[in-house]
Amino acid sequence: MFKKIYPFSAIVGQEELKLALLLNAVNPKIGGVLIRGEKGTAKSTAVRALASLLPEMRMVAGCPFGCDPDDDFRMCARCREAVSNRTIRTQRVQVVTLPLNATEDRVVGGIDFNLAVKKGVRAVLPGLLAKANRSILYVDEVNLLDDHIVDIILDAAASGENRIEREGISFKHPASFILVGTMNPEEGELRPQLMDRFGLCVDVKGEAKPDQRIMLMERRDAFDLAPHEFLKQFERENERIAAQVMTAREQLNAVRLPKHLRTFISELCMENLVAGHRADLVMEQAARAHAVLRQRSEVTTDDITKLAPFVLVHRARNAQPPPPPPPESDRKEEPPETNDANEPDKEPLPDNPPEGRETQQKSGERISGDRQPEPDETNTGDRLDEKKPPEQIFDIGATFTVKKITSPRDRVLRRGSGRRSRTRIALKQGRYIKSAFQDKTGDIALDATLRAAAPHQLKRKNNYGLAVCLKPEDIRGKIREKRIGNFILFLVDASGSMGARGRMAASKGAIMSLLLDAYQKRDKVAMISFRKNGADINLPPTTSVEMAGKLLAEMPVGGRTPLSAGLAKAHEQVRNYLLRDPGARPIAIIITDGKTNVASGDQKPLEEAFDFAAKMAADPRTQYIVVDTEEPGLVSFGLAARLAGILGADYFKIENLKADQLVNVIKERR
Amino acid sequence: MNNTQPIYPFAAIVGQENMKLALILNIINPTLSGVLIRGEKGTAKSTAVRALADILPEIEVFAGDPFQLSPSDESDLLHAFTPVVRQKEASQAKPVKIEKRKVKVVELPVGATEDRVVGTLDLEHALKKGEKRIEPGILAAAHRGILYVDEVNLLDDHVVDVLLDSAAMGVNTIEREGISFSHPARFTLVGTMNPEEGELRPQLLDRFGLCVLIEGVREPEDRVAIMEQRAAFDEDPVGFCKKWEAASRELGERIERAIALYPEVAIERSLLFEIASYCLDVGVDGHRGDIIMLKTAKTLAAWHGRKKVVSADAEAAAELVLPHRVRRQPLQEIGEDVKGLRVKK
Repeated sequence: MFKKIYPFSAIVGQEELKLALLLNAVNPKIGGVLIRGEKGTAKSTAVRALASLLPEMRMVAGCPFGCDPDDDFRMCARCREAVSNRTIRTQRVQVVTLPLNATEDRVVGGIDFNLAVKKGVRAVLPGLLAKANRSILYVDEVNLLDDHIVDIILDAAASGENRIEREGISFKHPASFILVGTMNPEEGELRPQLMDRFGLCVDVKGEAKPDQRIMLMERRDAFDLAPHEFLKQFERENERIAAQVMTAREQLNAVRLPKHLRTFISELCMENLVAGHRADLVMEQAARAHAVLRQRSEVTTDDITKLAPFVLVHRARNAQPPPPPPPESDRKEEPPETNDANEPDKEPLPDNPPEGRETQQKSGERISGDRQPEPDETNTGDRLDEKKPPEQIFDIGATFTVKKITSPRDRVLRRGSGRRSRTRIALKQGRYIKSAFQDKTGDIALDATLRAAAPHQLKRKNNYGLAVCLKPEDIRGKIREKRIGNFILFLVDASGSMGARGRMAASKGAIMSLLLDAYQKRDKVAMISFRKNGADINLPPTTSVEMAGKLLAEMPVGGRTPLSAGLAKAHEQVRNYLLRDPGARPIAIIITDGKTNVASGDQKPLEEAFDFAAKMAADPRTQYIVVDTEEPGLVSFGLAARLAGILGADYFKIENLKADQLVNVIKERR
Repeated sequence: MNNTQPIYPFAAIVGQENMKLALILNIINPTLSGVLIRGEKGTAKSTAVRALADILPEIEVFAGDPFQLSPSDESDLLHAFTPVVRQKEASQAKPVKIEKRKVKVVELPVGATEDRVVGTLDLEHALKKGEKRIEPGILAAAHRGILYVDEVNLLDDHVVDVLLDSAAMGVNTIEREGISFSHPARFTLVGTMNPEEGELRPQLLDRFGLCVLIEGVREPEDRVAIMEQRAAFDEDPVGFCKKWEAASRELGERIERAIALYPEVAIERSLLFEIASYCLDVGVDGHRGDIIMLKTAKTLAAWHGRKKVVSADAEAAAELVLPHRVRRQPLQEIGEDVKGLRVKK
């Protein structure tokens, strides 16, 4: 339909990406590929270009689910019955796009409205999962996909079939698809379960060599100026690849996998602490596809070592370099491949995965994986011990990915926008995810209403000249959902005691990490610091996290510690915010060591602070988090922990704030 | 075209040369994929975009086609689309008239709902005829035109997702509310924003080809000129527009000449190398920066009536293309001084 698609063969570089896609085209059992990378690296272009290279397959003519005539076990009911008189046609494997705005009924399938009204029959209108059966299901920006739709896809991918149970229809059909997704990790991470469904994962980067970049620019410009000529120029190369894929697919079953290599695969997977067995299976299938693409009839160790990073990078539970040298082969370097699209001077593959893990976090700047937030070695650490000026400004220490912080989900309808906590939404905005009987909001789901009414149309009398007669019982309301950003208040201890031994740098690192997290989730942030004799609002509530970051960098440290004043100020801010938006769920993050030496009133400073804390804990709407900056040393007072206890807050040491990557995230399925 | 409400003419905007240039470049070459205008309130951002209508070139469309298909390129789609939209249901057999009209500026209000943006079920037709028809959304209207989002940073997150989706593909795919349909949606995205109200998501930021930072005019004389012009316009809009008619027409003609010239513009390899190393030096993610910079340089050459790109074009292009693409420390602000960055490294 849309002819002007940039040809696959004209993509400059990105060999890993191209290889991963071709492997999937050859062997559908690999189960797809997740393409991660910075913006503007031909991620989407490559997937769309793949469509014209895909091989043809046999399917039952007229079957909306694209059933395979040679596979009796996975077939829709109709094809199974009509064994004798079914005709067979061939069709290219398709790339079916799942747009981000898809609603449930179109993904799963539902009642055929036209048929229902005209004939009064309940017939199934197949959805995207039906179209994608035995083809490629492609989701651009897959990390932005609604959780709700993700659940459906996970379900179908796990069972290989799609069950429609809605609008009076009960139906199932085969739905085994190759899942291809692209994402930019800057925009947030992907759910681990969904990640695991992708057989392979490639991290793409821009080309670093000017020559390649020039070629790329020239080609793209030529394509935009005269697409038809450009396509013609690359037609032959494209056809060559397509033919290669086609023959490879035919010969795939003939490829042998020696037994000792199976052991090698499982050892590889075990060494990387991969969860589950999918990695092993995927690696085997990918290795077969790779061998057959190289026109070999037997899998070799090279196939496996080459592909291991693709299989393991998104599954490995620690950041160890995944593929160790193969057990019985000493060759480390790959023999030069002739027929390959492989770049000769690419860095050796075994080094790639750990980098991948880091870029996954968010751009290169963050340091992940280390256990302790090290103070910025260059300036803060040693500078402090020598002189102690009253006021200092510390650099921001190393940042990391923080644990997931959300407010508990409930059924309160809210208004707002953001990405942290999911909530049912009261306004007529947010993503329309499904329909239900209720219609309290006046937000009628017209499509669902019509579908509900459709089967009854032949019976109902209609006096208004309209084709469809609606009754109150047909009315369905839209259920919309969106994530709202929370309001996050940072209360930062900026007193002199924080300046000691680079603690402020580490604290700033922690705050910065939280800020980055807040940014990804579109939170509102505010920042209050307390030092000397009082607390200052450094930043009133705003969505501009940039501003908070800038202020944080400039925040001076020094003077005494008026903790109670800080708490009071924080309370004031939170209360004001709640007055304006009673449905909000503010989160107050208090970064302190708990020590205090200035009181606002007559009490002792510490007692006063605890007293305030007890009062603040009375409002259940606010969630508190205390980040303890106290150095683990000989004498520790544990004051921050006590403060957390009184506030009913979650208590973290800085180093505990870090997300333990996959292990942790898997546990808390959102 | 109705002339009931005159628009402030583009040619009469005082100052803001960068912004005007960026907009003009996008008209000449729609594949530059848009411009993001960052700046304070009251700096003629919206005025400039609305005024564009005045100087836009003409394109061919099918009469009454809600999808703005191109008769030369996409005529095959017309027949595929006709049955699914409500217009023209009867006239399918008749040959469709081709008419010329100006490129449109379609506005996407910040409060727009997703269904209006991508298109939705045609309520009236469904109730009256009992058939599903599609009511095309804003993205259909913006095909081959300019999609203008005021305060783009305040746009709802999921609407942004949809925009990204179709901006990336040039195709809008609808899979919702019982409809399954896709149509081409290639548009020039023009957004304005006030950075104080929060930043844009990096992915969306990257979709804007060019980025200009604007601030209020500092020269007292220019400020006086702005006030005078504005007062003159408010007093007698029709007369004011007439006074500027010649200037507007001249600008329009110059743009048309540039459009005709653009395919002939050539660039030397040394300059390509310059562009690539520029992007590498300042550190941009991916390759969109390079591609857009090349196109911008060529468009600039065409705008200046040259058939060859000179290094000044590349320099100027860098300042339009790179500010928002330079890889930043997390949460760092968007820099204005691209050249300085390069020198530092």
